[in-house]
Amino acid sequence: MDTPAKRPSSELGAPPARKGWRRFSSRARSSLGLYGGTSLIVGYLSIIVLIPIAAVAAHGFSFSIHTQGWGAAFWHWHLSTGFATFWNDITQPAAISAIRLSLWLSLSVAAINAVMGVAIAWVLVRDKFPGKWFLEAFIDLPFALPTIVVGVVLLFLYGTASPLKIDLFETWMGLMLALLFVTLPFSVRAVQPVLESLDGESEAAAKSLGAGGIRTFVWVVLPSLWPAVLGGFGLAFARAIGEFGSISLIAGGLGRTTTASNYIYNLTQGFLWTNAAAVSTALLVLSLLILIATNVFARRIQRRLA
Amino acid sequence: MNHTTRKWSLRLVVVLYLGLLVGLPVGYLFIKAFSHGFHAFWVEVTKPDAIAALKLSAEVALIAVPVNTVVGIGAALMLARRKFFGSRALTLAFDIPVAVSPIIIGVALVLAYSRIGWFGSWLASHGIQILFSPIGIVMATMAVSLPYVLRSVLPVLIEVGKDQEDAARTLGAGAFRTFWQVTLPAIRWGVLYGVTLTIARTLGEFGAVLVVSGNITGKTQTLPIYIFDAWDQNFDTIGSFAGALVLASISIVALIILSTLRARERKLHVDLA
Amino acid sequence: MSISLSHLTKRYGADTVVDDVTVEIPESSLTAVLGPSGSGKSTLLKLIAGLESPDEGRVVIEGDDVTDVDPRYRDIGFCFQHYAPFRHMNVARNIGFGLRVRKQPKDVIDAKVAELIELVRLDGKAKSYPAQLSGGERQRMALARALAIEPRVLLLDEPFGALDALVRTELRQWVKELHRQIKVTTILVTHDQDEAMEVADQLLIMHEGRIEQAGEPTELYERPATDFVHGFLGPTTMFKGVSVRPHDLELVPASEGAIEGTVQSIMELGFEVQVTVALSDGTAPWVQMSRNEFRNLHVEIGSLVSIRERD
Repeated sequence: MDTPAKRPSSELGAPPARKGWRRFSSRARSSLGLYGGTSLIVGYLSIIVLIPIAAVAAHGFSFSIHTQGWGAAFWHWHLSTGFATFWNDITQPAAISAIRLSLWLSLSVAAINAVMGVAIAWVLVRDKFPGKWFLEAFIDLPFALPTIVVGVVLLFLYGTASPLKIDLFETWMGLMLALLFVTLPFSVRAVQPVLESLDGESEAAAKSLGAGGIRTFVWVVLPSLWPAVLGGFGLAFARAIGEFGSISLIAGGLGRTTTASNYIYNLTQGFLWTNAAAVSTALLVLSLLILIATNVFARRIQRRLA
Repeated sequence: MNHTTRKWSLRLVVVLYLGLLVGLPVGYLFIKAFSHGFHAFWVEVTKPDAIAALKLSAEVALIAVPVNTVVGIGAALMLARRKFFGSRALTLAFDIPVAVSPIIIGVALVLAYSRIGWFGSWLASHGIQILFSPIGIVMATMAVSLPYVLRSVLPVLIEVGKDQEDAARTLGAGAFRTFWQVTLPAIRWGVLYGVTLTIARTLGEFGAVLVVSGNITGKTQTLPIYIFDAWDQNFDTIGSFAGALVLASISIVALIILSTLRARERKLHVDLA
Repeated sequence: MSISLSHLTKRYGADTVVDDVTVEIPESSLTAVLGPSGSGKSTLLKLIAGLESPDEGRVVIEGDDVTDVDPRYRDIGFCFQHYAPFRHMNVARNIGFGLRVRKQPKDVIDAKVAELIELVRLDGKAKSYPAQLSGGERQRMALARALAIEPRVLLLDEPFGALDALVRTELRQWVKELHRQIKVTTILVTHDQDEAMEVADQLLIMHEGRIEQAGEPTELYERPATDFVHGFLGPTTMFKGVSVRPHDLELVPASEGAIEGTVQSIMELGFEVQVTVALSDGTAPWVQMSRNEFRNLHVEIGSLVSIRERD
């Protein structure tokens, strides 16, 4: 038998363990934790996100499941005209005009902020002047402010009683202003870290070869920024097309300023849930597609640069 | 155009754009608030309906924030420390709420859990009502504020690495002690960052809550909805403004906390995506 | 035998990182696991500690089969390559962690921590935080933390890897001295053969997940079982179609009946001189000699010399 000096653990005692717990091997316990934890998380995620999103798509195609008492565990599947209803719902003139408005507004807003995002990020990263930190703090403000607050303030400032005498109530310009405001951080923050990581060596090289400032920017800096700019574009677009709070007030009640999310909200107010589900599904697919497209495109550019 | 002119014109464009787009409205909010005087503001925010809305918002946050914090930390631990089938899908699923319109989230919850939805009749038969009730508001808020803790904690957890946890294990510490005494202290700033983002998002959520809440004054009105309703239905612009000011002040405090934390931990960033 | 590993195998996907390792590690020895990076030596250490679980094989520590025992209950002191200090705890709290886990009374912990702080020469640093310590101090703190639980086995993963050269040599000597004092069975992992030869009394050479050879350092150096061990433990050169140690060759003035060649290059490295000789068969072995031997030889580039094996 070993001497106590060689088996000192007997002096200190083993770490406390719950009875029976030690019987499981460490691997068994570790997988127990993994599966237990994962199923809890997936369960929660399913309840608050996945099942509801599935329900939207299903209702959009008028495909519904009704539970008829849990005890009997009896599921009644009901499949009606499906795609025809869906198509009918999203091709209502009002629906089409709402989706069209959301699309072109979001695309232009994402494009404008993509350009301004590069300019702002450039100034924040490369320029130095007193008060720059103040600009920096400004960038996140639109993200931190609740959208309804943005909506109220913009309506005050550019509503019918505008102190600036700029009345943008129920105009596309009002909507655009709100969307530019809320998507600004996405465009700037997507580009900024990439610009920071560019060390300026290739720029210096280009300049030493006689390229001018603008030429250097276009031929040397911009190519490495493209993926980030596109990423920011995708995020801004996704945010803009789903935006509701900041534009809900300034949009007023006119058809020509009703965006897709506004249209869906109006449908829910009339309890037209199936129609709301159909338009929601269309919007969901649309924004997911654009998001995936920008991701794939950005990755392809990234690969070429690497 | 020479270098200096170019530099100055770029500065000018950027400052003007930010100033007009962001500075003007936000500045106006506070200037206008003070021009009415503090008293008028106080009268507005102490109206019973406003108080009720503030209270409901706080209650919702009190449930949604802790739940999402626990889930977010748990998911971050899984994703950072384990390799398992479907981990990529799990990360993606967590991002759905930010990629999708809050209005759609609201519609989705109704179609799944209200009377007309999948589980509505079963829930109703057990006396649970989701639509037009605080439960629905809490669920909607949980959904839209879901990813923030995970997104803040995950990069910090990966940066800190597994060694400290392994060291604690070889020294005899069990899972609970290792988490509370080793892991959590190491990621505390990331957690605080994520919690701040979650609180900001929770208190400000509007679209999803509006769809599920049914907007019943004094009963299912959170602060953002009170602000909307005061304007849209009651034409009480000052009341609406006062509410907006309260929310704006909270989010500016959150912003200050966030940038302080960012200065501490370089891994943290406003990953809004 | 203090630790015996039998048929230990660990795979990551298609990669077999540790491949059917069977080895016995003697009681109270200081064993160095030596191998190039990627040879599976760190994984082997983690398998012994239980931080990784093997796909096949058993780990037996002092007669207990601990293969399925959680690292918590293995009574092992593990020092990580980057020390893994608990950054939010001061030195004393770091060292006392394992004792607090074992619910020791406060005065016992305090006494033990004070004793260890003295042992690892961190006097006056008890209240410092890891961020305020140098690399060597952090390493010593990690050692004290591992020793506090009076482990049956001490495992050190590349203990000197992250330190600068001067601190490294000092700390090597100190670890050797420490081991002489406390006699706990110690395994250290390293890729540096000088370090292994200097510190360890047992060597374990690993290559591509397998144990190439195990034994005492001098034995391995003199009687390497494989070409890999031979090449890894010291310099080699090709002479007469076989790999030999360059200090086992010697140069003599030409025309003494040995193989002749022309001096191709001379590298003087302080005490040691390396001379490369081009032979008529196209090979060019190099010979390691002392400065004095070189002086007495009177050769320069282009000189004709004879080369042979030393007696």
